[in-house]
Amino acid sequence: MKKNNMVAMILAGGRGSRLFDLTKKVAKPAVHFGGKYRIIDFALSNCANSHISTVGVLVQYESILLSSYSARSSTWGLDSNGGGVYVLSPREKDETGLGLYNGTADAIYQNLDFLDQEEAEYVLVLSGDHIYKMNYESMLQKHIESNADATIAVIEVPMKEASRFGIMNTDKSDRIVEFEEKPKQPKSNLASMGVYIFTYKTLRKYLKEDAKIAESSHDFGKNIIPAYLNDKLKLQAYRFKGYWKDVGTIDSLWEANMDLLKENSGLDLFDPDWKIYTNDTSATPQCIGEEALIDNAFITQGAIVNGKVSHSVIFSGVEVRENAVVDQSVIMNNAVIGKGAKLTRCLVADDVRIPDGMVLGKKDSADVLLVSKALIAKAGE
Amino acid sequence: MSKVLGILNFEPSYVHVKGLEDFRPISATSILGRYRVLDFMLSNFTNSGIDSIKVYIKNRERSAVEHITRTSYNINSKKGKIHLLHGDNNFANNDLFNVDILAFKTYMEFVDVENPSYVVIAPSHFIFKQDFSELLDYHIKSKNDITILYHNANNTDTSYLMGDILTIDDKKRVTEFHKNRGKYKNGNVSLETYVMSTLTFKQLVEEASTTSSLYSLSDIIADCVRAMKIGAYQHRGFCACISTLRAYYEANMQIKKEKELTRLINEDWPIYTMTNDSCPTLYKSGAKVSGSIVANGCQIEGTVINSVIGRNVIIKEGAVVKDSIILPDTFIDKNVKLDHAVVDRLTIITHVKDLRGTSEEPIYIKRGDRI
Repeated sequence: MKKNNMVAMILAGGRGSRLFDLTKKVAKPAVHFGGKYRIIDFALSNCANSHISTVGVLVQYESILLSSYSARSSTWGLDSNGGGVYVLSPREKDETGLGLYNGTADAIYQNLDFLDQEEAEYVLVLSGDHIYKMNYESMLQKHIESNADATIAVIEVPMKEASRFGIMNTDKSDRIVEFEEKPKQPKSNLASMGVYIFTYKTLRKYLKEDAKIAESSHDFGKNIIPAYLNDKLKLQAYRFKGYWKDVGTIDSLWEANMDLLKENSGLDLFDPDWKIYTNDTSATPQCIGEEALIDNAFITQGAIVNGKVSHSVIFSGVEVRENAVVDQSVIMNNAVIGKGAKLTRCLVADDVRIPDGMVLGKKDSADVLLVSKALIAKAGE
Repeated sequence: MSKVLGILNFEPSYVHVKGLEDFRPISATSILGRYRVLDFMLSNFTNSGIDSIKVYIKNRERSAVEHITRTSYNINSKKGKIHLLHGDNNFANNDLFNVDILAFKTYMEFVDVENPSYVVIAPSHFIFKQDFSELLDYHIKSKNDITILYHNANNTDTSYLMGDILTIDDKKRVTEFHKNRGKYKNGNVSLETYVMSTLTFKQLVEEASTTSSLYSLSDIIADCVRAMKIGAYQHRGFCACISTLRAYYEANMQIKKEKELTRLINEDWPIYTMTNDSCPTLYKSGAKVSGSIVANGCQIEGTVINSVIGRNVIIKEGAVVKDSIILPDTFIDKNVKLDHAVVDRLTIITHVKDLRGTSEEPIYIKRGDRI
């Protein structure tokens, strides 16, 4: 058996309904991000860079694309002997029949046989929809050193925003004494990042017990962590400093993309020692035309820019045609911005074609405008 | 389809790309920011359905070996294979004797193992798009002994020098070979791409090696112009022979135009290359970029006009890169001005603020230099 064998389990089954049309046919973790990535690339690359060799990806909602994408272990260098990315979708079982994943804890519970088979000593539970760079190996080190039963990664958030998060109240040694989900009166500003390391033996027992409770939501935050606390098990907070973002809404997805334009956002994608891997495309380099004007943009290969682009992120295969103006916008894969079109504070979904001359979005709008195929079709009526 | 073996030949002795060639064969030289020259021909093979390929590398093979072994050229990894074979390093200092025939002869057993009916031999110092399956169909139908791909060029006075010019009769048969010494503007240039049966290939290699140890495949084919039925098949579209620094420069400049780029490389004819997992390029506030192609992983604050920028290049504020080709991993400091320059990989330009060449003679900055 491998020493300190930690198996990562990425929860990637959710729809992400607040992303509306973006997740109509793909699960949230497979949504494109930052020009060339998919959101799940961050969790998978972090695993690879943290020397984790076995990763389970738990899929459920619209899983075809996500499953085939994740299964290509070599994309992230996770194709070592004995390791790999295992796509774990709900399956029919001998004794219990077909069971959908009913909560985060249930998803892991239904794959205990997989964790047994992998001889996991520790289980790293992750979300497949967060943008951040984190060394899980250091976190495991802390988990072992502190002799904890579970370690939860936390990040300091501004106190006034703390009521939007799951908040960990800790003692002086960062031992978690209380967990509050979205508290109205937060006592601390340490938010859970949805990154957990569990000592497997203990987790296994608690998941089995939780599965027997009919009224349980089978959720780590609501049930498993409180049960641990109730039994006075040792839960340790692991303080993370750096960039972390949950991209669950159009606004936050747009913001996270915009953060890539800042030099001090804390998310350094240029770092050669912690690359974020993604599938390779055979696209051409980016082609910047003679009439193009670019002021502060993050652009990837395969893009063709002949218009004006400012404060925007341009994804692979995008065309910005002559005299088009793209400002403070995120233009996703293979979208075409027609001649003379004008976009301000927009997030344009994959494959959308903006007709010539169309004006969309406002500079001072409260929300970012999601430009989907449906929106364009409606505008054309 | 009959079994076809692709052979990527190494460059003939007339290829001299000043500076760049000291570090790698021209086939492994970076082009258009993210490719290597040989990616185009290897992708021609695999896009044509030929997935058994022998790549012959003349010398300084490290760069080519690393690139090819780490690139997936869309080959079925069980049935297909790219096999790397190198030239004779004993002749490293005497290029004249390091001919393709010697390499073909040395490794003929590996061709025998594959036992193909036909071989398609293509050059590694040319860039063009060609469906070899069409060429092969034509070869079989025409009952030629050898079919040569050619390009009708109107710039043979400055390009394709020392390559073969073909005289072709109205039945598309090659009747004469001439070395191009730049006398005429127009000519049918041999693209050094040959289709023949394996048997013919083996005969030619044998015959060439007994004729002279200086003989190359193109020499022996020229000798057979009467004894064999040699046909010609016309290539259409963009074509470049990277035989000099100027030709390298011009090829980059011509392909970088959107129309040429998307005609040469598109979804129906992808060009495969090695991924470096670089993030997208960041154009910072104040950057001015136009008429250029840019690879991923760059950070640009300065001005870039009509240039080709390779992967992971940093261009600081106030720097002006004009009509230049910057190879990957290069750093160009504040206020440096580059005009008609070819800057090799891993170079740091800080102190020298003004470097100028001309389109006929671009200035070459050596790999890894700190100036």
